[in-house]
Amino acid sequence: MTTIAPLLIGFAFGWLLQKAGLSRYDRVVNVFRLRDFALLEFLLTALVTAAIGIRVVRAFDPAVDVPIPTTYLAGNLAGGLVFGVGMALSGFCPGTIAAGAGEGRLDYLIPGALGLYTGALVFGDDYGSIMPALSRWGRLGAVTFAEALRVEPWLLVILLAELSTLTLYVIARRHRGARP
Amino acid sequence: MIAALRSPWSPRLAGVGLGLVVTVSMAVFGHRLSGAGAYQNLSGFVGKRIAPDAMYWQHVVPTGLTWDVLVLIGSLGGAFAAASFSRTFKVRLMPDRQWADVFGSSVARRWLLAFVGSMLTEVGGGLAGGCTASLALSGGAVLAPAAFVFMAGMFASGIPTALVLYRRTDS
Repeated sequence: MTTIAPLLIGFAFGWLLQKAGLSRYDRVVNVFRLRDFALLEFLLTALVTAAIGIRVVRAFDPAVDVPIPTTYLAGNLAGGLVFGVGMALSGFCPGTIAAGAGEGRLDYLIPGALGLYTGALVFGDDYGSIMPALSRWGRLGAVTFAEALRVEPWLLVILLAELSTLTLYVIARRHRGARP
Repeated sequence: MIAALRSPWSPRLAGVGLGLVVTVSMAVFGHRLSGAGAYQNLSGFVGKRIAPDAMYWQHVVPTGLTWDVLVLIGSLGGAFAAASFSRTFKVRLMPDRQWADVFGSSVARRWLLAFVGSMLTEVGGGLAGGCTASLALSGGAVLAPAAFVFMAGMFASGIPTALVLYRRTDS
């Protein structure tokens, strides 16, 4: 079960990335050129669906343990800034490299995967000199907005869904019929 | 049914599917969906040799065939299956469109920039504590502030980078 489940989850992940066209250079980069919002549509619908899905599961079983990423504002922001440069330069994000490789793209399979591996080595080697300091700046810990603001989580999920729907609506109006 | 397996999917529909996958991964199995994590788990095979005392491989990330590595292997198969059904599987060295208009048709240049770009995403993901899947999506779904700060950073640098790279093409 602990072998089959991640393989199946990965299979669905790769399948969906390929079907949504995110294994293509142009599709990933053009979100930053504000010309093709497929990546944003994919991300926002997934985000809202998962936010609702996780709350529903927790409503049935409040004891279920869901991992919460750590918030350390300086590092989250600095990492995002570095990540965005790499993504706009290559048209990759780490997940789409496997998706592109799976449809036969050697620029994903070889320099893409080697770049990720090298990046992990560089980060790992410098971890001790960077992260203990960086992760102290603006450290809130493994917290959610609901806990930090003391708000009912469902209210924030509904707000997230509304803002996402509004964004998707604006995208759909601007780009009606424009998608290849 | 067969037609749906063969055609491209709307990103919104595919996104709903991915949201269900993230729900299962997070709330049933307790794992964030990760693209970058697998490479961290695999990096120890080399990292422990070149830096035996590094804190990272000693205490921070496990080395081996972890959950994230199995997700990576599965995703290669899933993309291969999807491309095979759509009959879009094709071995190629370069992006099919747009890249050559800006950077020229040199394979060496594409491969060099692909390497540099993917390295930056992995380093950035390490600094931030996750990638698009494991932080923006999996973290956003549990309303972690980290996810939204990361997304803001990603667009705040990605948009100007793309504008600079495309300044001649777009003007």
